[in-house]
Amino acid sequence: MTLLENLAAGFELVANFESVFALAGGVLIGVIAGAIPGLSATMAVALTLPFTFAMQPITGILLLLGVYKGGIFGGSIPAILIKTPGTPASSATILDGHPMVKNGQAGKALGMALWASCTADLISNLALILFAGWLAAFALKFGPPEFFTLILFSLTIIAGVSGDSLLKGIVSALFGLILATIGLDLVYGTNRFTLNDPNLMGGLNFIAVLIGLFAIPEILAMVWNPKSKEGETQNLGKEWVTFAEYKRCFKTIVRGSFIGVFLGSIPGIGAAPSAFLSYSEARRKSPNKENFGKGEIEGVAASESGNNGVAGATLIPLLALGIPGDVITAVIIGAFMVHNLQPGPMMFLNSPDIIYGLFMGLIISSVFLFLIGSVAIRAFSYVADIPRGILFPAVMVLCVYGCYAVNNNIFDVGVMFAMGWLGYVMLCKGIPAAPFLIAFILGPLLEDNFRQSMLMSGGSAEILVRGPITWFFWTLTIITIVAIIRSGMGKKKAEAVEHGNQE
Amino acid sequence: MYIPRIAKNNKPKLIIAAAMSAVLLSSSVIAADYPSRPVNMIIPYGPGGATDISARTISEPLSKEVGKPLVMVNKAGAGGAIGSVAVQNAKADGYTLLFARVGTHTVNPAMKATLPYKLEDFRFVGVYEINPVACAVKADSDINSMEDLVAQAKAKPGSVSYSSSGVGSLLHLAAAMVLKEFGLENPVKQATHIPMKGGGGAATAVLTGTATFLCSNSSSLASFVKNKQLKPLLVTTAEPVAGFDAPTSKDLGKPALEQLVGWTGIAGPDDLPDDIAASWGKWLATATSNKEFKEKMEARGSVIRLMSPEESKSFINAQYKQFKALVDELGMRVEG
Amino acid sequence: MLNNSYFSTGLASLILSLFLIFVAIPYGVTAPSNVTNIVLSPVFWPEVLSILLGITGIALMISGRSAVKDSVAELLPTKGCYKRIALLAVLMAVYVAAIPWLGLVWTSMISFVALAILIKTSHPRTALISAVIIPLVLYMFFAHVAGMAIPQGEFLRLP
Repeated sequence: MTLLENLAAGFELVANFESVFALAGGVLIGVIAGAIPGLSATMAVALTLPFTFAMQPITGILLLLGVYKGGIFGGSIPAILIKTPGTPASSATILDGHPMVKNGQAGKALGMALWASCTADLISNLALILFAGWLAAFALKFGPPEFFTLILFSLTIIAGVSGDSLLKGIVSALFGLILATIGLDLVYGTNRFTLNDPNLMGGLNFIAVLIGLFAIPEILAMVWNPKSKEGETQNLGKEWVTFAEYKRCFKTIVRGSFIGVFLGSIPGIGAAPSAFLSYSEARRKSPNKENFGKGEIEGVAASESGNNGVAGATLIPLLALGIPGDVITAVIIGAFMVHNLQPGPMMFLNSPDIIYGLFMGLIISSVFLFLIGSVAIRAFSYVADIPRGILFPAVMVLCVYGCYAVNNNIFDVGVMFAMGWLGYVMLCKGIPAAPFLIAFILGPLLEDNFRQSMLMSGGSAEILVRGPITWFFWTLTIITIVAIIRSGMGKKKAEAVEHGNQE
Repeated sequence: MYIPRIAKNNKPKLIIAAAMSAVLLSSSVIAADYPSRPVNMIIPYGPGGATDISARTISEPLSKEVGKPLVMVNKAGAGGAIGSVAVQNAKADGYTLLFARVGTHTVNPAMKATLPYKLEDFRFVGVYEINPVACAVKADSDINSMEDLVAQAKAKPGSVSYSSSGVGSLLHLAAAMVLKEFGLENPVKQATHIPMKGGGGAATAVLTGTATFLCSNSSSLASFVKNKQLKPLLVTTAEPVAGFDAPTSKDLGKPALEQLVGWTGIAGPDDLPDDIAASWGKWLATATSNKEFKEKMEARGSVIRLMSPEESKSFINAQYKQFKALVDELGMRVEG
Repeated sequence: MLNNSYFSTGLASLILSLFLIFVAIPYGVTAPSNVTNIVLSPVFWPEVLSILLGITGIALMISGRSAVKDSVAELLPTKGCYKRIALLAVLMAVYVAAIPWLGLVWTSMISFVALAILIKTSHPRTALISAVIIPLVLYMFFAHVAGMAIPQGEFLRLP
């Protein structure tokens, strides 16, 4: 059978009331759950899983995929509106999304987030259908040394989100890397900075750190000076995103989607690093470089295309190899198993109808995401009109509920508040928070993959340059670092000249 | 202005009523109307994991027996220690129970010196499922049996490695135990342990050639075996496991490996009253005989086997003792 | 010139780095005696990071001496700001401590009102109504829709 015939057969399987309803319902559940901080896309998928047991396999899996896609998009709504990402994947969206709200462009930011998400989603789905086999074979070449070099390269993103001072960005990243070492050691299982407290043995909860670092300092700043923002109206703004803006960001969106597809097809990285990588690439290439971090619409487009580009691509290792790329796809594998389907190369031979049905369903899901997302952002955008005297206490309560719900642990709420104070001090000292966050996500991956490589080679560093993939990333890393140093020196020279002229 | 006053007058009464009911609950009347409110069931691993799915599957028929909702509480972290400690410190009123697992309650206590809880801190009300363990290598590997694997480890020390889902996981201990059982004197020195994060990562490590083999729950390997990506070398049960074309521990004459199985059970704090434990034993018996539940669990490759509270206790203690002896012999204990 | 944000950040990083190297890592990280290779030791990575932090700290201090402009917008103290910030710290501590005892819903209602007062809300009546409704609605959602266990406290249990 040709691809088209397969797709037609798949379409037959999906073109019924139940499947369409499951997809739409899934996207709706996902958007709502994603929009509530603490209810991550993972949790929404896990909570929906038991309901799929009684359904037809294809219906059940489509429902879960709908929840997944909706959840990844839904997270961007609170990230933009109240600086509290609903899911980790949307943390990069804060960087420009929230400043846009402060500029009175909430509607525009949400609109662009939706358009970028849907476009990236569609590209990601097409990549899955067309390149699944090829990308899956590539993913299998990724062992710890390849991961190590990829993550090392990803850490150079820090330079792109450091703001005015690269040194401050590095300090921020080092704080993040050090805090990420708290917990049990990977190789020996011994305690690191745990003070023998079982809560610390699990390490600091990522969501607690995330919310603490971004949302709580806002509250502190408000308490410090309640009247400072009195005159500031935070209304929605009647402006919605225009097609011209979409066209301007289109290149960024496509680039972000491909970054997402690439990182998504490699198991174990996830959507958050992809969003950051896409953001820093967009900033590097953009003519409006200076405006990034101050409410640049292209920044929102970059982050949202980066994280939604992952959504379809994580299904590549899942369907082609049976390997879950992240926790969400691990849950979805559970749904396959319940119906006695074993994802993997044989599934393309044994039940191609299901595979192609899923492909068709995914394409349709991008459309639903657009329709349901449009309604959702209009409904949620009224948040921007709430008076600050009500909004801030409400955000605090919401953060506490959300932070607790992640792992049902009150300790995490304490971590969130403590990180809030750290975030506030960093804000006062002009230390950017984004490098901290990137380092906190990537740090453990970097260390683990380094040590796994050392275990494999018996301590010889040669393994870190064992093949073309590692060479590729080493070269990229070196080129990037040289570029950063040169631009830094150029900036200093310019400043010195300016300074000299002034005197 | 009238409405607030009512609220004002009512609040103290409500609080008194609540306080009285709290007093009533804490006295010995417990069992007669137990449970009078929803029961919190703590799952010490994250949503979507094997334990989580197993727990949520049994909660359906089980809550019908209990008569009150069972609230599933995921408390993940530190290899299940955070959730386990939460139950260890909970009131023994039967409203906080734990889904205990082989990792949290036999492997961890046997391996970790600084674990903040002990096996004796818990009272088991029953074990309801068993997961056979299988060992496997990559499908195109030239290793075809356990003998080949051990021979290679002996011939070229350090050339054989095994992946696991972390230090102190069942996968970690299982691989060492199997190697030891097949004649490798010092598996810790002669083979390399490569810990990954999570069971999915461990299987992937074998597929990408990062590790030579792994021993894991048969259910987590089943799809790889069926897709001919992994080649099973043995299963640890005495009976063959469906879908695994590999010798059993009985075929290979290694009866000691029969103890090497995963399990899931329900436990409370050690001072859980007898009548509550007995009620749960009864409820579990009815719930596990539910046909739909059985079908769902078996589709995922687990074996439904119900043990009474006493049986559970002796089974778990025996496994713990065997693991502890092995850990001490091989020097695998994690200090500090 | 020496009290700009570059210099103070650099100094703080240097002090933190020394604290980590000489106190926190030796006492806080356990390295087993049988570690065969230094790069595999649990202390290796934290030590590398601490040293890097120290170096960056020194670099920041140097750049602070020659920094032309300090771009950080100064947060000018306002009337009673230190008192309010201290009260917020107390509020956060009490919030966390009271959850197991009072339950999440009641604690949140009280904290909502307290924060609204701290930031001198211009809509006191709406704040009071929201303080009751928002925690309740969130409770209904998390407990009954998402099926989670929201801490109930020792006194008054919600259905």
